[in-house]
Amino acid sequence: MKILMFTWEFPPLISGGMGMACYGMIKSLLKLGIEIDLVLPTKELIYFPLVKVEDVDLLPVVYLDPVRQKEFARMEFLTMQEKMEYMGMTVHPETYLQLAEIQKFQGLKYFFSEARSETVVEKVWQEVALHLMGDEDLFQKVQEFTYRAEKIAKSLNYDIIHCHDWLTYPAGMITKKISNKPLVVHIHATEFDRSGGAGDERIHKIEHAGMVYADRVIAVSKYTSQMIMSRYRIDTMKIRIIHNAYSIDDSVVFQRKRIFSGPTILFLGRITLQKGPDYFLDVAERVLQSHPEARFIMAGSGDMARKILRKSASMRLKNRFLFAGFLNRTQVEKILGASDIYMLPSVSEPFGIAPLEAMAYGVTAIISKQAGVAEVVNNAFKIDFWDIDRMTETLNYLLDNPDVCEEMGRKGKLEVHQIEWDAAASKINEVYTELVQ
Amino acid sequence: MLNFVFYFQVHQPYRLRHINVLDIGTGQDYFNDELNRMVMKKVAEKCYLPTNSLMLTLIKRFYPKFKISYSITGVAIEQFKKYTPEVLESFQALSETGCVEFLGETYFHSLAYLYDTNEFLDQVNMHRDLMKHEFNAETETFRNTELIYQDRLSDIIYEVEGFKTILTEGVDRIMKWRKPLYAYKNYTKTMNLLCKYYKMSDDIAFRFSNKGWEEFPLTVDKYVNWVNQLTLSEDKNRNLFLNLFMDYETFGEHQWAETGIFQFMEKLPEMVLALPHLGFIFPKEVSDYANYQQEALSIPDPISWADEQRDLSAWLENDMQKNAIETLYELFMKIKMKGDESLLRQARLLSTSDHFYYMCTKYFQDGDVHKYFSPYDSPDQAYIYFINALADLEERLS
Repeated sequence: MKILMFTWEFPPLISGGMGMACYGMIKSLLKLGIEIDLVLPTKELIYFPLVKVEDVDLLPVVYLDPVRQKEFARMEFLTMQEKMEYMGMTVHPETYLQLAEIQKFQGLKYFFSEARSETVVEKVWQEVALHLMGDEDLFQKVQEFTYRAEKIAKSLNYDIIHCHDWLTYPAGMITKKISNKPLVVHIHATEFDRSGGAGDERIHKIEHAGMVYADRVIAVSKYTSQMIMSRYRIDTMKIRIIHNAYSIDDSVVFQRKRIFSGPTILFLGRITLQKGPDYFLDVAERVLQSHPEARFIMAGSGDMARKILRKSASMRLKNRFLFAGFLNRTQVEKILGASDIYMLPSVSEPFGIAPLEAMAYGVTAIISKQAGVAEVVNNAFKIDFWDIDRMTETLNYLLDNPDVCEEMGRKGKLEVHQIEWDAAASKINEVYTELVQ
Repeated sequence: MLNFVFYFQVHQPYRLRHINVLDIGTGQDYFNDELNRMVMKKVAEKCYLPTNSLMLTLIKRFYPKFKISYSITGVAIEQFKKYTPEVLESFQALSETGCVEFLGETYFHSLAYLYDTNEFLDQVNMHRDLMKHEFNAETETFRNTELIYQDRLSDIIYEVEGFKTILTEGVDRIMKWRKPLYAYKNYTKTMNLLCKYYKMSDDIAFRFSNKGWEEFPLTVDKYVNWVNQLTLSEDKNRNLFLNLFMDYETFGEHQWAETGIFQFMEKLPEMVLALPHLGFIFPKEVSDYANYQQEALSIPDPISWADEQRDLSAWLENDMQKNAIETLYELFMKIKMKGDESLLRQARLLSTSDHFYYMCTKYFQDGDVHKYFSPYDSPDQAYIYFINALADLEERLS
């Protein structure tokens, strides 16, 4: 079976947990013998044909790393051989080369405005055509991505189309229209999750259109499936719940190395409304009153970073509430290895892979009851994100009883080892099989 | 008679590295040696060396009538030794002429006065010893960091042996109808106060190259003419003091050589000394020239020479600045209790006022000045690096 997969994030082109989820998922799908042609928002018009498990780690980095990409664009190569070698490639599939020069976007209106006989479908196309018209950077990128999908859709062979989150839905829809192949849309987060409120109307419309036009909708948690049913009114027959997972990479050494002598509590994620950084700060202020030896670290970046920073200063948290900024993979591993407690007070979290990674380091996790990940783990504290009193109590208890904290971390570590992408991939494979029969 | 009182501030902070949480406990240095070297080399080349050489020439040409004073911070002297020893030598050559007065201040250009009197006195004494050691100079005039002054400061400085005069800003809300041209006394009448004539100082330090300024270009003729007009208002034959206080980096750094600032300074003494009722004196000579009863000024709240407000708001206005400095001085106490000299040295290097200046979030014109002087992208970043340094310092303590 061959899948044409569209996603916006993939390591090292990552901005959140979705990239890591796609990575783990694809790796396990490849193990099942499924072939995947992966399309990413690269600068050049390319796709990545993945056949063997090792392929996931062999993506030519020049296309994905913005810094290397810039370098690459400036370089001149004498031979194709030289170019391939620079890209770090061992094989020479012709698809890695540019399929064509990227032209100005033209095709979208035509595709979306063409009349269809079914009224529901017609409405769906109107939704997308109308709402993809933004001129912000992101919308332009999505338009470009969609335009390319048309070219790719025509030139490849595949059995199923699989899309991750709204940015790739228009691309998936076009591909389905051209090829008549079944479409699976995967919901990692909806606009309601990201915005913590109403969000962007245009994005809702695109999400809705994608789900309506799709043959199957995969939700990463029960929490998300409820959202899809209640907010988007999607036919429940099409929805499948497949929890995300976390496969422990054998090459990673889970090294514990303290930075602070006192207990260290970590927030690691985008500093946006969705992740509840303000609840983390409020809890820190309260806990520091009885535990001044504790250190709170906020790692990540986001639109609320400045607000949280200024507020932490106004609370006079001294040098006990620190900002680590955006961390790369190695740095994330270091900070996890230096933490005792991980907190994820998300307001809305469809899944949330980060706590699993923290648990793999033996870090005790306190997660929001509203997170999808709470549906799959037992050895973590689950608290309503708004219940600052409860979170404060729990943290104080763990700081007063370090042995309890350590025990919880140990159990959590064991539990995470049981959660594997392979199981989730088999479920995805079942969805595929249903569709091609 | 009107006397020019020139005081030049010479200071370079140790700028912080971009310290991340992950750097804590790794024993890395807090300061960006490469950047500090680069800045010092650049400023030495553009300002310190050419200006010192000009001043030396002028002093020799008009000996002993051209007099100037410097306040050089301990952290600046340390960095001269490390990066540009020739600058220190050129200051020593100036000191040997006898036409230079060295002022006293805090060794670390700190705000310790506001938070920790004992630490403040320690730093003042360290600086006094340094002046003695490097220039064989006994300091008699005090200038607090950024000309911060209030009544309480004079009480403290009065207790320190040797100081008789303090320099500060001629702030309008204090001076009201008074002119900064007269020598004043502090509120207890125990010390002399010289107040900066900020209009005439800023004409040189800030406006000199401003093409939008109606007086542009500023010539020595024009400037001396203004000074002459100032003397006309005095009809009781009292001696006047024209207190021109500015950053030394005005010459060649803030005002580039191309603006003609060096030519201006070169020509000024000649024009001044050609007139019998004009001259140059040291700040410490104020008592010799004040031929009248000096009025006492009461200044209960702190003033300074910074920004439009001329208060503490450049360093201590927003929460980041306050959290940072309060945390620092709390650490000072802990370090002193433990008696760890090397940590005390680090805390002192972090006490330099510039670190708090970089965290300033005031906008409009002053914000531009802050941005010009800051090595960081934003006040928030400056705060993060500083707090991370303090977190590291505390880990080292425990």
